[in-house]
Amino acid sequence: MKIDRRRFIRYAILGTAGAAAAGLGVKGMVDMLAPDKAAQGPSDKRTPLKARPAASVPPARTTYRFAITEALVEMVDHTPVYHWAFEDLDDPRGMPRMPGPLISGITGNDINLSITNTLPDVHGFIIPGIAGTPGNGIQIEPGRTQTMSFPAPEAGSYMYFDPFNAPVNRVLGLHGPMVVLPASGNTPYSDPTPTVQKLFDDLGTAAHFPGEPWIPEHSRIWLFHSIDPRFNAMAERGEKIDATRFTDEFLPRYFTINGESGAYASHNHNTVPHGRIGQPHLIRIMNTGMNADSPHIHGNHVYLLAKRLPSGVLHVQENVVLVDTFTDEVSQCMDWLLPFIRPPDIPGDENIPLRRLIPTELSLTLGGVGQSPLAYPMHGHNEQSQSAAGGNYPQGMVTGWEITGDVDGVDFPRSNPEEKGGPPEMH
Amino acid sequence: MTLRNIPLRQVGPNELPVFQKHVCPPTFSGEAIDPVTPTSHIARNLAVNMDLELRDGTKIPMWILEDPEDLVGGQVFPSKTIRTVEGDIVHARVGAKLNTHTIHWHGIEPTSMNDGVGKHSFEISGNFVYQFATNQAGTFLYHCHKNTALHFEMGLYGAFIVCPKKPDTMEARDVPDAPYPPGGPGYVKAFNPPTHCVKYDVEALWVPDDIDTRWHQLGHDASMPKCNPDNPAAAENFTKDGILNDFRPDVFVLSGEAKRMDDNTLFEKAAIKCKVGQTVLLRFISATYTINEIRIGLPIQFIAQDGYPLGVPPRGQYSHPVDRAAGEPIRITAAMRGDCLIRPTMAGRFPCTVDYFHWITGKKLYTAKTFIEVE
Repeated sequence: MKIDRRRFIRYAILGTAGAAAAGLGVKGMVDMLAPDKAAQGPSDKRTPLKARPAASVPPARTTYRFAITEALVEMVDHTPVYHWAFEDLDDPRGMPRMPGPLISGITGNDINLSITNTLPDVHGFIIPGIAGTPGNGIQIEPGRTQTMSFPAPEAGSYMYFDPFNAPVNRVLGLHGPMVVLPASGNTPYSDPTPTVQKLFDDLGTAAHFPGEPWIPEHSRIWLFHSIDPRFNAMAERGEKIDATRFTDEFLPRYFTINGESGAYASHNHNTVPHGRIGQPHLIRIMNTGMNADSPHIHGNHVYLLAKRLPSGVLHVQENVVLVDTFTDEVSQCMDWLLPFIRPPDIPGDENIPLRRLIPTELSLTLGGVGQSPLAYPMHGHNEQSQSAAGGNYPQGMVTGWEITGDVDGVDFPRSNPEEKGGPPEMH
Repeated sequence: MTLRNIPLRQVGPNELPVFQKHVCPPTFSGEAIDPVTPTSHIARNLAVNMDLELRDGTKIPMWILEDPEDLVGGQVFPSKTIRTVEGDIVHARVGAKLNTHTIHWHGIEPTSMNDGVGKHSFEISGNFVYQFATNQAGTFLYHCHKNTALHFEMGLYGAFIVCPKKPDTMEARDVPDAPYPPGGPGYVKAFNPPTHCVKYDVEALWVPDDIDTRWHQLGHDASMPKCNPDNPAAAENFTKDGILNDFRPDVFVLSGEAKRMDDNTLFEKAAIKCKVGQTVLLRFISATYTINEIRIGLPIQFIAQDGYPLGVPPRGQYSHPVDRAAGEPIRITAAMRGDCLIRPTMAGRFPCTVDYFHWITGKKLYTAKTFIEVE
């Protein structure tokens, strides 16, 4: 089976549903919005995905035209908060985004980027971890457009942002994700360590990882951010913000994942991985906010694959540890492999499918919501990040993942498939 | 330039139930769902009020989970450690008192209804029997997962230790059967073919915590949103005056011993006493909302993280244990765990510290000092 690398990533967005596209252009939008294998309805047949990703699929998009602009972003409690934001000028809906649009590519392919500063002050742009101009950063005067062209670098997760008056301009909205896939191989990296390579070789082949290998479509970005509206209000009034005061006095009032919080982030299938047991997913965690957090995932331990330090240096891990909680430092990218194994502490014969082992649970409806699929959260364990507007647990930095069926390819019975919600484009 | 709006996405009618459940979970009670015959029983009630006393006599209100079957040591802070055996099937009878609550068995991975997260299942009103296996020997924790920012801070947590079975060797003759007694001796899961068990003589448990005493004046449902089934995402549901985003610790805790910021005296309760030639197993669990760095005054071997032994096949084969020099910092944040082995080769007193750094500024707030005394 040929794997189309144009469909490799989902990235939740703010605003009207259907706006995902993740920077892949109109054609890319159509591809992205097609449900993947896991999103299709119940089936009795398993679809093996043993093929390695094709090595030479052209990227969907090589040219990105961004504007640096401003917008009022509606928080989870409906409070509008002023932000500086990137806008994709080729997005037909013509909306800024917070966080900014996804830049994506395959190592070695061209990326052409132009950025127009529509704001009255000087701004900048940097992608730490890339040699030359992108990694050194550029300055963009008000009203001017700067361009850069570069080959997509070493595969991995990157963040781009405005490094001026650091960290103020980044935190006030000028940031976004960049994802580069390798031109070949079955891992997310150009130069995986032997242990990362072994782990990906074992997915779907070793006895302890029954199911399928990882495919790039089974990826999510979780971009964590924090917002202190007091400083956004200063920016809206045109006041100069002192970076030292900003760092010393910053007190987050909102905590987001991909620009959403709470129930929104927990029920957006562009953020929430879902699939049957044996469909491993890659999670690219990025922290553009001001606070370290301690993200904790339920249901499965995850493999910590790689970290990109704030300097931009990538460390693909040699010692690939299994964790359920890990420190997410500010300005760090961290890749997790969520193995999507059967939750290992469900009692009973592991040879009996869960649909037969836990039929009562899977048939129950509690609070008007069916217990199928099995849903597990991921949340910050620095639990301040679970608040919004000073409290309102859990309307902060929380999302989750869902197991929709057994490893033999049979989905769990769904009491009411419509009730789980999510953005309309996914349903 | 017109200032444009980036609105929240519309919540469709089909999403109302999940949005409502996210903030206002249903209650539930009863016996285990899809029951399997258990090999181990646990009982816990929550919440129980208790005071944490400082050296100056000040009392800080805490909430703990009690073991109602232990009339002597069932009410302690941190809440009483649970000990089971690898492979056990556990039935945990949980009673919710004073309010609705849940227990999340952190790092143990059962079905959603046994995972103790209200928005994905329910909160307990009355009693419920959680069912799960403890298939992985290691260091876990358990805690309430309702209004968690507050309930975890208030002390509704404890250690959960899963012990490997004793190997059938001569060395194991003098060790009691698993679960091993607090303090040792016992066996821990670690890379050591073919049994992947290592004997320890002394077991220590360090649990750093930090307290913002302002938070300890709040009620169980402090700053929770209002329940509004017709419009669960409405602006008017939100409380606006909470402080659960604003954590300013003024008391620092290590394994239940609490000190004010200006109290630099030693934490005696956490001190480890052992002899030359013995093997010490040190387990640590972060219960803080700050960032911790632990420094141990002797070389250590780091053998397990978050309950999973490094290097042990099949799923741990992509990792390996790590040797760390004396004093090398181990950086951890909330709910992370680690196990390490210490094998002292000389007598003496070896200082150990736990630093607490602010969660936003990264500035050091406090250093807790304790020690390892080797005879």
